[in-house]
Amino acid sequence: MVQDTRLIELKGVCKNFGDTQVLRDVDLYIRKCEFITLLGPSGCGKTTLLRIIGGFEMPSSGEVLFEGSDLTVIPPYKRRINTVFQKYALFNHLNVYDNIAFGLNLKTPEQLGVKTKAEKKKEIERRVKRMLRLVKMDGYEKRSTDALSGGQQQRIAIARALVNEPEVLLLDEPLGALDLKLRKEMQLELKAMQQQLGITFIYVTHDQEEALTMSDTIAVMNGGRIQQIGDPKRIYDEPKNAFVADFIGESNILSGTMLQDELVEFSGTEFQCVDEGFGTNAPVDVVIRPEDIMIVGEDVGMLTGTVQSVIFKGVHYEMMIKGESDGTLWKVHSTTMQPVGTRVGMTIVPYNIHIMRKATTADAVPVSDSGKEEA
Amino acid sequence: MVKTISAETRRAPADRATARFARWSANRANRLKTVRTIWMALLMLFLYAPILIMIALSFNASVSRSQWTGFTLDWYVKLFNDPAILGALKTTIEVAVVATIISTIIGTLGAIGIHAMNSGMAGMLINVSYLPMTTPDIVTGVSLMLMYLFCHVPLGKWTMIFAHIAFDIPYVLFSVMPKLRQMNPNLYEAALDLGCKPIKALWKVIIPEITPGIFTGALLAFTMSLDDFVISYFTSSDMYPNLSRIVYSSTKLGVKPTMYALSTLMFTTILILLVLVNKRTKLENL
Repeated sequence: MVQDTRLIELKGVCKNFGDTQVLRDVDLYIRKCEFITLLGPSGCGKTTLLRIIGGFEMPSSGEVLFEGSDLTVIPPYKRRINTVFQKYALFNHLNVYDNIAFGLNLKTPEQLGVKTKAEKKKEIERRVKRMLRLVKMDGYEKRSTDALSGGQQQRIAIARALVNEPEVLLLDEPLGALDLKLRKEMQLELKAMQQQLGITFIYVTHDQEEALTMSDTIAVMNGGRIQQIGDPKRIYDEPKNAFVADFIGESNILSGTMLQDELVEFSGTEFQCVDEGFGTNAPVDVVIRPEDIMIVGEDVGMLTGTVQSVIFKGVHYEMMIKGESDGTLWKVHSTTMQPVGTRVGMTIVPYNIHIMRKATTADAVPVSDSGKEEA
Repeated sequence: MVKTISAETRRAPADRATARFARWSANRANRLKTVRTIWMALLMLFLYAPILIMIALSFNASVSRSQWTGFTLDWYVKLFNDPAILGALKTTIEVAVVATIISTIIGTLGAIGIHAMNSGMAGMLINVSYLPMTTPDIVTGVSLMLMYLFCHVPLGKWTMIFAHIAFDIPYVLFSVMPKLRQMNPNLYEAALDLGCKPIKALWKVIIPEITPGIFTGALLAFTMSLDDFVISYFTSSDMYPNLSRIVYSSTKLGVKPTMYALSTLMFTTILILLVLVNKRTKLENL
């Protein structure tokens, strides 16, 4: 399981491409055996951060440490880090076996713990076979890589990286090209592999569900900065700013005023909450998850509104409800359906109201207010 | 059944009009087709008539250029018994092989280098490399000759080989560049990631990946080398004639049918090579 030793540490890492700042002052540490996900929209700098760790980019400034010593002076081919690339980057002129054996063939017999070249060959065969079993591709040794499906190529790319027994495995949106069902299967398999092998995984994705499913730790990135870092539950339940709240899961984000400790006003109504320490009459952002709004009778709710639209989403219905007090559109998830035009009451319990400080200019992010996009 | 027939009868006038239109348009399509065929035939005749006449005359029993006196392979037999021609054949092939090998190496490495550059610099280099392909051969030939004379290099086989290398390089470059552009940009990084040093990564991953392009480039360079007359004429001397030079000098003394036979063979060889290049390019673009 995740250990306390810091394997990789980034301190004040910046990266510029010409005039564009891709990474701004990133601080991050990665612990041994951790499954950490860099999550963010495209262009947020997550892939650049991964490439810096892999050795394919140099930081413009800042420090990158591996077990306490400078990593940037070590070329990629000497790092104990392997990468699974976005489009797999398999070698098409080699068959499946030779793709996986590629890294091992470059090692000396001593590095593989054997003495002679003949023993090396046997050792490589043993390790490649074991890897093929791990990724459930045994029997495919002689196949050409073009003849494989996307999911199979993905497995070979993972095997090719893992067979070198790296300390850290970097994965750059490895499941992006797969269909939904296969993607979900691979998510679970990857997580199982990581736990079985005890290797640190650094995973890049823009898919928040993927991040929540697999990670021990999620670092949410936007505009070249880490917006929030923490375990999936904490990120979901206590987003630090409006960007994180909007990016992770669905949410209603409103402007409000913290009247005093444990009392907040938004949508023209005062609500009990559990947050304190914001001062009095402080402007804040309020996050309420759609599943945390309960629909009650129109006379007993804290808020009243009229159902504008209903979409069936499988497990629940997604309803847009227009509040009467100030016209806010609320996104509400419920297992019971209310027909369009119905007047309903809505109730929110105090611990489901999450209060955030207003974004400061430094990490100001454009966030669509709750419910602005109508379904 | 009855119903269907009655329905058809009712629609009959309209159907007749439709049928007339169909006939008319079919005829029109046929007429167009005939015109197209004739046009193509004329075009082909215009392009290939001289060569066809030459090929026919190379099998003509008499020396006459206007009378067909019977089929013979004598001229071909004579051709292969003429030491001057055999010597020129050897020179031509030698020059083509050496120039192809060297220009393929230089062109491939050049393409890899240009590919790795930032786009501004790469664009400039690509334009500079296009220039020799569009410069008239006579200008290239004369300028190379001037350079050799200026540097006091006696004209001979090696000056010709260097000239061929120079005009072959762009063909290799422009065959390899598209392959590099099609390549997954992460391949090189994947090789480094798995433990290759940069040169080894180039050799073990990049070169195999672009081999089809390199091969096409080499084939094209070889063809261009075999094909060349003007540049070779200016950069070599009569001491080291290649085939095209032999053909040219013999025309001064009145053309012998052996020259028709020689030209026929050169034409066929280059035709076959070009067909090969085309087939490869098509296969690669599938």
